[in-house]
Amino acid sequence: MIKRINFWVIFAFLVPLLVAIPIFTVFLSFFDATGNYLDLLTDTFLLKYLSNSFLILLGVLSLTFIFGVTSAYFVSFYKFPGVNFFKWALILSFAVPAYIYAYSLVAFFENYGTAFSILTFLFGEGDYNKNIPKFDGLIGSMFSISFSLFGYVYVLTRASFIFQSHNLIEVGKNLGLSSYESFFKIILPSARPAIVVGLSLVAMETLSDFGTVDFFSISTLTTAIYNAWISFDDLTTANQLSFILLFFILLLFVLENLSRKGAKYHQNSKGNKPIPKIQLVGGKSIFATCFCSILFFCSFIFPVSQMTYWTIKFPKYFQDINFWSLNINTLILVFLSSLFLITFSFMTNYGNRVSKNKIISYLSTFSVSGYALPGIILAVAFITFISWFSDLLSSIFGFNSFKNVFIGSIVGLVIAYFVRFFSLSYNGIKSGYSKINNSIDENAYLLGYSKFKTFTTIHLPYLRTNILLVGVLIALEIIKELPITLILRPFNFETFATKAYSYAAQDLLEAAAFPSLCLIIWASIFILFISKYILSEK
Amino acid sequence: MEKTMNKLIRIIGLAIVGLFSALLVANSVFANEVNVFSARHYDSDVQLYKKFTSKTGIKVNVVSGKDKALQKRIKEEGKDSKADIYITADAGRLGAFQAEGMFQKGASSAAIKKVVPANFRSPNWVGIAKRARIIYYNPKTVNPSWNMSYEDLADPKYKGRVVIRKSSNIYNQSLVASLIKNNGEKNTAAWAKGMVNNFARKPTGNDRAQILAVAAGEADWAVANTYYLALMLSGKKGAEQQAAAKKVMPFFPNQDGRGTHMNISGGGILKHAPNKANAVKLLEFLLTPEAQQHIVNNTFEYPMIPGVKANKLIAQFGLDFKQDLKTKVSNYGKLQAKALKVMNEAGW
Repeated sequence: MIKRINFWVIFAFLVPLLVAIPIFTVFLSFFDATGNYLDLLTDTFLLKYLSNSFLILLGVLSLTFIFGVTSAYFVSFYKFPGVNFFKWALILSFAVPAYIYAYSLVAFFENYGTAFSILTFLFGEGDYNKNIPKFDGLIGSMFSISFSLFGYVYVLTRASFIFQSHNLIEVGKNLGLSSYESFFKIILPSARPAIVVGLSLVAMETLSDFGTVDFFSISTLTTAIYNAWISFDDLTTANQLSFILLFFILLLFVLENLSRKGAKYHQNSKGNKPIPKIQLVGGKSIFATCFCSILFFCSFIFPVSQMTYWTIKFPKYFQDINFWSLNINTLILVFLSSLFLITFSFMTNYGNRVSKNKIISYLSTFSVSGYALPGIILAVAFITFISWFSDLLSSIFGFNSFKNVFIGSIVGLVIAYFVRFFSLSYNGIKSGYSKINNSIDENAYLLGYSKFKTFTTIHLPYLRTNILLVGVLIALEIIKELPITLILRPFNFETFATKAYSYAAQDLLEAAAFPSLCLIIWASIFILFISKYILSEK
Repeated sequence: MEKTMNKLIRIIGLAIVGLFSALLVANSVFANEVNVFSARHYDSDVQLYKKFTSKTGIKVNVVSGKDKALQKRIKEEGKDSKADIYITADAGRLGAFQAEGMFQKGASSAAIKKVVPANFRSPNWVGIAKRARIIYYNPKTVNPSWNMSYEDLADPKYKGRVVIRKSSNIYNQSLVASLIKNNGEKNTAAWAKGMVNNFARKPTGNDRAQILAVAAGEADWAVANTYYLALMLSGKKGAEQQAAAKKVMPFFPNQDGRGTHMNISGGGILKHAPNKANAVKLLEFLLTPEAQQHIVNNTFEYPMIPGVKANKLIAQFGLDFKQDLKTKVSNYGKLQAKALKVMNEAGW
């Protein structure tokens, strides 16, 4: 007897397969011609590329860990001046993409930049350039990426702190642990899955960053792949480099999965009453307030002020912008993509949960690396795949070419976003699912609930907050997304991100300020709209 | 249950087929248009296209993006590509794309041949505007002799006083390619080492940042394209940078030799262009005095055709300098990979 194939399982199988296509394409398309880029590369700068990527990754992970976990810890467990403000203000950092942060950083600190203007304004004419610190591109990239990404660690860690079993901490206290000890022995370990998920998201975004490192002209693994593949047509080298990159990423996934397995923290149905916050006094209170203020200032106020300053100082750039079409384009992309992403990752997650099939579970783990495949590489892989597939079908079945349906169209953009952000949406919902005890499902089946009914009446309502959170994370990513949009967009189609990029490319950061500011405002609206759900303490 | 599923699959299948055919039909509908893929991002170009549309009734559709990624998209789309014209800065890029057989002949029409010098066009592409890559200096600290050259910048006496951007930059690759063409690879490798020894700092920032470094006293010499100085002098970058730009002087090198290194922005008509006739019209329009005047006043490049004057912000530094017309710009593409290698080996 063949067991009837389950709808959910098919889903859990097909969606990750679709998402994995570009990764296979990257490898498969590398088996024909080759150039001499590798000789050049190994002689001179392969090690440099690797070490740049590694240094940036290391720097960003350390900074986001410190920023994210420390602020989450203060905000979740303590009362200090401004805590209720920082609680939501810190997530505004999500609104600023790393490349826009980089624009601000350079513009502020460069010779005769904004810092120079401020000093001149305050103290009169002077030779201030020598006293203004100059950023190395590597350090600049590290800070830009960290300030724009630490929000992942903050939000996920905080959610896990809030939902931490109160009893556990009480037990710790009764055993006589100091707050320092209970942080390292109880709070941090039990928040580990959330922190690791946050850091692995940060790591993948960092490895795949193109906009920031390109702006600073820092050569990383990603720019090396781009150069090898696209500039030098050296497919063997691109293949080898991609392999190194994917190896990094796979390592991250293994790490993440292991840490999840080692810690199956199902939320206890009792004992999650809000943890009473401790009032900080004296130095500790000042430190907490200062830490959060500086973080908020650096991550949000600084780039927003720089962009606002330019927008006001150079109002003539307003007129060149087709404001309404930029808004509409951005929102259409957000709506379509989040609709598809959420629906499909929900179904995949559920399929995974009910099937308990090893292969499907591996496949979905592997497929989520679409997120780590740099957007610019993914976009090119997408074009290559569609072109190959269309030619194949034409030659076998005599079909009309359908390249134009997918390349340079909204359809193509949405599919590419889907591949890119499936991980985000899949993992976001998975982290919610991991809190629903498996025994709840089993009880439901015992009560005669079908799988579908379990899904709609138990899981969906329970995960409502998760859906909102994931939806907004996707919206934020798409509003900020640059390389895929740039390459795959239709004619005469601009988003805030592409508009800002194109001004930056013609060395007019002043003109890039207005679209950047609009982008940040839209992203902030999304964030504020759902902040009460993200920050819910019930 | 299975019946309903089958029905559902059929309906979805039909819907998809319907959608596809609708899109395909929509694609094949004739339109009076021309499609431009551009790695040049100037808003002023878009204004120019609007002028073209109001004159001819031909709609101009644009996708802009990173140079190589756009090329890749055009290549993969193959004969389904809707792109008619590809526009980019740097002759090397145009030459390389031509070498891949992506352009068709016809960019240099009879009308264009009449006005554009032979060095700045090929049967497959044509220059739209010129720029020179020149030396900038701080007149308070140094004074170049009239015949100073790019080669001289590697002289040990300038140790720690030279700034230039990274080797990954295409303008540097074209400049070094022209040096390889004229002086040979070995001499150029030695020159690159000398340059690196003279660097005032690790290469960072764009061309404008190099000019600003001279203004701020970080270095005495910088290498950058001509239009960046004019951009700052125009006030588009604010009063501080306008004042800073006035502290720096441009210098046109190699005047007693082959002349100053020139490069172009240009475009060609793509192999599978669906609207070739319109593409020729657009290129011809871009090389009319009206369009050229618009370009030079907005981007501060040099005009490609005679009879149009460069913007006064750039013209004030002299227009009768000797341009390197001996080194064909079409050589840049062939030697860029070598140029990058030479620079990287020098630690640039």
